[in-house]
Amino acid sequence: MPDEPFDRAEFVTYFRDEAEELLHRIDADALRLESSAATGNTDPEIVNALFRALHTIKGNAAMLGFSEIASLAHGLESLCDMLRWGRAEVSPERIELLFAGRDLLATLVAATPSDTEPPPELAPFLERLNGATHTATSEQDAETFEADVARMLSEPAKRDVLPAMPSGVRRPTIRVDIDRLDHLLNLVGELVVNRTRVSDIAAGLAQKDDSAGKALLESIALLARTSGEIQEALMKVRMVPIGRVFERFPRMVRDVAKARGKEVHLEMSGAQTELDKTIVDDIGEPLMHLLRNCVDHGIETPHARQAAGKPRAGTIRLNAYHAGNQIVIEMSDDGGGVDPDRVFARAVELGIVEHDERLSEQERLELIFKPGFSTAESVSDVSGRGVGMDVVQKTVTRLKGLLSVSSERGRGTTFEIKLPLTLAIIAALLVHVGEDLYAIPLDSVVESQRVEAEDIRTIQGKEVVTLRDTIVPLIRVAEFFELNVARDPEKAMVVNVDAQGRQIGLVVDAFAGEQEIVIKPLSDLVGRIPGISGATILGSGAIALILDVHALVADSYASGRVARVDLAATEA
Amino acid sequence: MGESVQVATFRIGSEEYGVDISQIQEIIRMVEVTRVPRTPHFMEGVINLRGQLIPIVDLRARFGMERVAPTKTTRIIVTEIGTKRVGIIVDSASEVLTIPLEAIEQAPEMIAGVGADFLQGVGKVGERLIILLDLTMVITDPQRKELDETSLSP
Repeated sequence: MPDEPFDRAEFVTYFRDEAEELLHRIDADALRLESSAATGNTDPEIVNALFRALHTIKGNAAMLGFSEIASLAHGLESLCDMLRWGRAEVSPERIELLFAGRDLLATLVAATPSDTEPPPELAPFLERLNGATHTATSEQDAETFEADVARMLSEPAKRDVLPAMPSGVRRPTIRVDIDRLDHLLNLVGELVVNRTRVSDIAAGLAQKDDSAGKALLESIALLARTSGEIQEALMKVRMVPIGRVFERFPRMVRDVAKARGKEVHLEMSGAQTELDKTIVDDIGEPLMHLLRNCVDHGIETPHARQAAGKPRAGTIRLNAYHAGNQIVIEMSDDGGGVDPDRVFARAVELGIVEHDERLSEQERLELIFKPGFSTAESVSDVSGRGVGMDVVQKTVTRLKGLLSVSSERGRGTTFEIKLPLTLAIIAALLVHVGEDLYAIPLDSVVESQRVEAEDIRTIQGKEVVTLRDTIVPLIRVAEFFELNVARDPEKAMVVNVDAQGRQIGLVVDAFAGEQEIVIKPLSDLVGRIPGISGATILGSGAIALILDVHALVADSYASGRVARVDLAATEA
Repeated sequence: MGESVQVATFRIGSEEYGVDISQIQEIIRMVEVTRVPRTPHFMEGVINLRGQLIPIVDLRARFGMERVAPTKTTRIIVTEIGTKRVGIIVDSASEVLTIPLEAIEQAPEMIAGVGADFLQGVGKVGERLIILLDLTMVITDPQRKELDETSLSP
């Protein structure tokens, strides 16, 4: 529509994003209100914040003609107004009403801009809300609202007349399609890779002709610094605080705990820890699932806790922090813990493992990540449908992360997720296997060294080597990939990698140095190859395939290719 | 003059093949191909084409013919099928021909060991017979699909 005074679609997107943000804040504030009301002294600033957030949503919705959202927000705003002026007391019923209204609002916001019918529960809810605020919702109030709406509709372009959140001065921001950023990042990646190539050429020139070559090398060094900075800055653009995911958890924990008759404190820290936006987007669901499980299965009932001499309320700690090139998310509860033997028995029952399978304690515990596993004796509506933990595992693996669990009976369970900060660029160790080049992500490399052939021994007919007093099973990469490469009779170049807490030595033919590499997916025409996660183009123009260490190790274990030193040790 | 198609022709062994030029992005000399393990036998590997990874199919292997060492005339035809790019190795590239639609006949069941699945038809240009390839069929492998499915399931 050419006469549109503003790009409506863009505003709707903006509205939805902003409303979702505000809804999160409303959730958090309502939770704070609830806990402060429980202690008997309500902080008026919380109610004010709620009021302002609802007011902003109302105004923006009215401007865009979303009348249902506007009326609902208006009703909730009136409720807050009553609480604000002390015309009504902050009762559990009113807080419940606020929560229910917020959820309905979220449903409506998520449905924009489609013109579908409002959900059937809206009308009765509005009536209920109206009843609750009846004493305060005077005729005059309603009139003011309508006048407000009329005024806003008449000045659609002047967005700044809308009441803004008084959360300080809003810095000008711009929304950019993530694809565009990805494209930029790819281009910069190429730039960085090419600069290595150019400086190689310049170095060659400098040897022949001092002055020109030197000058060239100098300016390339400058170029290298700038391109490095661009790359870093661009990566930062994609970084968002993980708190965005965290903010919906308190409400969820509250609801689940309530439904299950449990008392749970959620303590979160490290919300400001930043990581790549795409990872943040994908990690929300798995974390949510883990948390739900913690409340549902981890934390005991208040009664059981008291009997065990613990405080009635259980505590779940969610913490995020940076560790080198990774981000670590820890979730620990002080619940009953997981019993590996019970997990094993259950897994046998479910047909996930054979009853005579020999597994270490840790491996038995990790059976909870297997598809189809569920310890829940009864299927609850909250979790334990027999699906889930494997999905968590899958998502984390897809994000090139690691999921681990540790548990102490009676003391609680800790889940740890380690994720890379970004998926686009990684540091890697390059190795030769025969004529081919492979890149091993540095984050999984423990050390690399030359091992003499006579130091390689066998356990159960499979090769192992002792490194620093630890028996490390070996996988020959050439044999894993069925490459036609002869074994070196004298020595083995071993890259010791850590995969899901297990150390494995990857045998290659030569080391070719460390390098930052840009990960490129292999064409889907090539298909998925177990053990390979992608490829990269090096400064020389050569291609190196990137090893998927976890898949390679898992596949090797599954096919019985490696020595089970962990089991051999327990038997000895 | 009736409708016609423009095809780029190339040779594999003694046969002459053609591919619709709208599907061809460029033709390059043979370069070093990085092999990728655990792929179907006809998947030669990947190449670096100006910073992009292009998978390479050896048409000889695809057609179940004997592989030969690359020669001076060996070419990689980089094709674009939908949004996917794939390079095919051929013995030599010849020329671009315009073939009237009426000169194209249904492919016989089997030509030079190539299953009829791969063929769109046979074009007659004078005395020459140009086998018109269906690239989509050449790069999609029923076995590949199965492979994908098995590798997806744990």
